[in-house]
Amino acid sequence: MLTCITGGYVIDPPNRRDGIGDLWMENGRVVTAPASGTAHATFDATDRIVMAGAIDIHSHIAGGNVNTARLLLPEEHIRFDPRTAGMPFATAGSSTFETGCAYAAMGFTTVVEPAITPHNALQAHLELADVPIIDKAILTVLGNDDYLLALMRDNAGPAHIRDYVAWMLDATRGLGIKVINAGGAAAFKENVRSFSLEDIVPAYGVTSRRIVETLQRAVIDLGVPHPLHVHCNNLGLPGNVDTAIATIEAAQGLPLHLAHLQFYAYGRDGARGFSSGAPRLAEAVNAKTNVTVDVGQVMFGQTVTVSCDVLRQFMARGQANPSKWVIVDGDSNGGGIVPYKYRATDFHNVVQWAAGLELFLLIDDPTRVFFTTDHPNGAPFTTYPEIFALLMDRELRAETIASLPPAAIEMTSLAALKREYTLNEIAVMTRSAPAKLLGLADRGHLGPGAIADVAVYAPDKDKAKMFRQAALVFKDGELVVRDGKIVQYRFGRALSVRPRADRTVESRIRTYYEATYGFDAALLKVPDGAIGRPDPFETVGCNG
Amino acid sequence: MSAAVAEAARLLAASRAPVIAGLGTDIAGARAALLLADRLGATIDHMHSATLLRDLDVMRETGLVLTTPGEARRRGDVVLLVGDGLAESLADVWPDLDLAALPRPTKAPERRVLRLTSGNNRAERTDDGPRTPTARTDVIDGAGASLPQLVAALRARANGRPVRTPAPLVDTMDGFAKILKSAKFGIAVWSAAELDTLAIEMLCGLIRDLNARTRFAGLPLPPGYNAFGVLQACGWMTGYPMRTTFARGFPEHDPWRFDAVRLVDSGEADCAMWISSYGAEKPLWRRDIPLIALSSEDALSPPGAQVQIAVGRPGVDHAGAHFCAKAGTLAHFAAQHETGLPSVAAVLAQICNALDGIGKSPC
Ligand SMILES: [Zn+2]
Repeated sequence: MLTCITGGYVIDPPNRRDGIGDLWMENGRVVTAPASGTAHATFDATDRIVMAGAIDIHSHIAGGNVNTARLLLPEEHIRFDPRTAGMPFATAGSSTFETGCAYAAMGFTTVVEPAITPHNALQAHLELADVPIIDKAILTVLGNDDYLLALMRDNAGPAHIRDYVAWMLDATRGLGIKVINAGGAAAFKENVRSFSLEDIVPAYGVTSRRIVETLQRAVIDLGVPHPLHVHCNNLGLPGNVDTAIATIEAAQGLPLHLAHLQFYAYGRDGARGFSSGAPRLAEAVNAKTNVTVDVGQVMFGQTVTVSCDVLRQFMARGQANPSKWVIVDGDSNGGGIVPYKYRATDFHNVVQWAAGLELFLLIDDPTRVFFTTDHPNGAPFTTYPEIFALLMDRELRAETIASLPPAAIEMTSLAALKREYTLNEIAVMTRSAPAKLLGLADRGHLGPGAIADVAVYAPDKDKAKMFRQAALVFKDGELVVRDGKIVQYRFGRALSVRPRADRTVESRIRTYYEATYGFDAALLKVPDGAIGRPDPFETVGCNG
Repeated sequence: MSAAVAEAARLLAASRAPVIAGLGTDIAGARAALLLADRLGATIDHMHSATLLRDLDVMRETGLVLTTPGEARRRGDVVLLVGDGLAESLADVWPDLDLAALPRPTKAPERRVLRLTSGNNRAERTDDGPRTPTARTDVIDGAGASLPQLVAALRARANGRPVRTPAPLVDTMDGFAKILKSAKFGIAVWSAAELDTLAIEMLCGLIRDLNARTRFAGLPLPPGYNAFGVLQACGWMTGYPMRTTFARGFPEHDPWRFDAVRLVDSGEADCAMWISSYGAEKPLWRRDIPLIALSSEDALSPPGAQVQIAVGRPGVDHAGAHFCAKAGTLAHFAAQHETGLPSVAAVLAQICNALDGIGKSPC
């Protein structure tokens, strides 16, 4: 069926479109305008902005830890809206169904859940299968797993490590590899209470730095498009800007992604020993074109922090608000769930809020800085429209700054920053750049052949309003949102890479798991048939 | 089966307040049951909700440090077993607990097992022949003191606080407390089937206290019938555990109001579906109610069921994903032998189709 979105203002930076025109779609793909022929369906986009569907590279929306957060905080998601016909659970607070609907309403069509331990892969994919409308993916978390650390301790060659990483990606159906406080969770099991880049994991004799380098190398050698996704050591601690800069240096010019950089943008200046290190960090990022980052913006309000950084979450348990928390020493990373409330009157929280915005505004290249709140750690993803507005409107920033404690704002450079993001830069940061970073050639743009994931917005002086409710959203060429309301459920796919591995690795891993954990590692596998929906996976090609 | 399916749909369509209970089913069955409940405005409950909610209540009120069976097996150098009847459930999770050697990454001392029992209904291990070497096991036999009292006393002694317990028992307690504090990675094991919420909270408090200086984690033993797996599916689909209703078009959770037994016995529910695909569990309510039973074939259906449909056992008669106690997570299991018995999900899909056929509001 030929569909045309007519007369909209199309912003599609990779294809150099920035003006009024039509967009044609057929069989779920963008197509060139047919020489003759009429559309079976047309949608008038006059006075509207047309962009590709947005891509979120880092949002915790599924997996054991996220589900524990749901069950830990029933009082936080009580709702009283009956769901509409044909959309079961659409109004069930914090459910997978609400997640898909809320993302789609903002024009997001692909979301990556970035922290799934091998142990939790099946549950994560089952949860994602119940996220309607959007496509999704997981990053598989390695780097605190006994098998890898034991290989490194025993000086196994890169081929062994590569085969293991490939097997894990294939078994868990991951799109890439993430490392979270490399070695920190394993060290915490040995009662270590602080852990940095040069520290050694007890019993394994390997440094955090070596774990990062080893996984970075394996990911590159396997041709996985997404670079190693790193959650650095010392998250949240004053002075940790040095850790982040050291990690950037450790990348040695090779591709590396640093997650939620805001949580590492802290200096020790000022009377309270806590200041924004964002200018220094932005400078370091600007200087290293091999490095990409996402921000993890903080917004004020109630949230819950969910992380596989067990050590950090344990140390933060005293700040739980409300006062309850869960720490899991899992196989490999485990996780920690600590509710938290960011307050506009709190000195530290205000510095955090400003540091995130500074990173957005001081990192020059919108293809290397990604738009995240580390949902839900910095703020729920539903705050995205407000953040877009802050980035695009310096007067709005000035108004907000004026309402915040000056002592905190003075520990940042935010008040002096005049930059305003353009719609074109927003399109790069939330569409084309994420697609490139994840190796998704047919997403994030509107050229012929692209998947017909399209978001249409009604421009408004109030930018938050514009992004909160897309006028129209198409997924695979089908209308799914009109005026911010979901018009139909459909279920997307999970994107995964399947790099080739030496087959003999499987029997080694299974023997090891049986001896160490007492169960068969084959149980970690996520077969297509386990998901309960047709064609649940889409394979993304590896390089080379 | 089609007549049974049609009759099930008729009963459900005629009901004002149906309840879907038992829920002993795999993840696909739980998802299908939740969708059906949402469509009917029904209430969902699991046969082991009461047990599961005791652990969950402690979580929702306080702080917990937990671990997985694999990590407990690998690193647990001190294992505190709290309860009188743990042996049977432990056999599924940790069959070689009594082995002294740890597959721990560091050279660790040998495993030490501490048992805290009230002395009532103690289940003795009867199975094993000689196994070498066996972990040293010490027992506090509470001689009639209740488990909550014993746990409270142990926590008090671990924190150096006085207790009103007879002196010989205090000495043993102090010995236990010393061993707990010297653990490198200690594990506390309990089953909410035999502890009340206060005792679990006390035990989790002890674990928290111990973590101030060393590492210690809890390993609550899950009830059977995929209770934990169904809890997960309820969590992601609705935001809440079981004992949730959809009567008003959105989920509402209340452990007391939406207890299936209470709903049936009080007359608030007017139709029940009972799902038990793993074995012969029966509902505990006493009142007669129009009943649709989906049971594994070797299980006798509950008496009085108007509709009985035989279903297969997940991972035996058909493939399915459910909670794997040994791995401590969801896992997918292929069929051991395809018997042609339908899954719960397949039967519920047919019932949904039949509901469409009689014009009951579509999903
Ligand atoms: Zn994150």
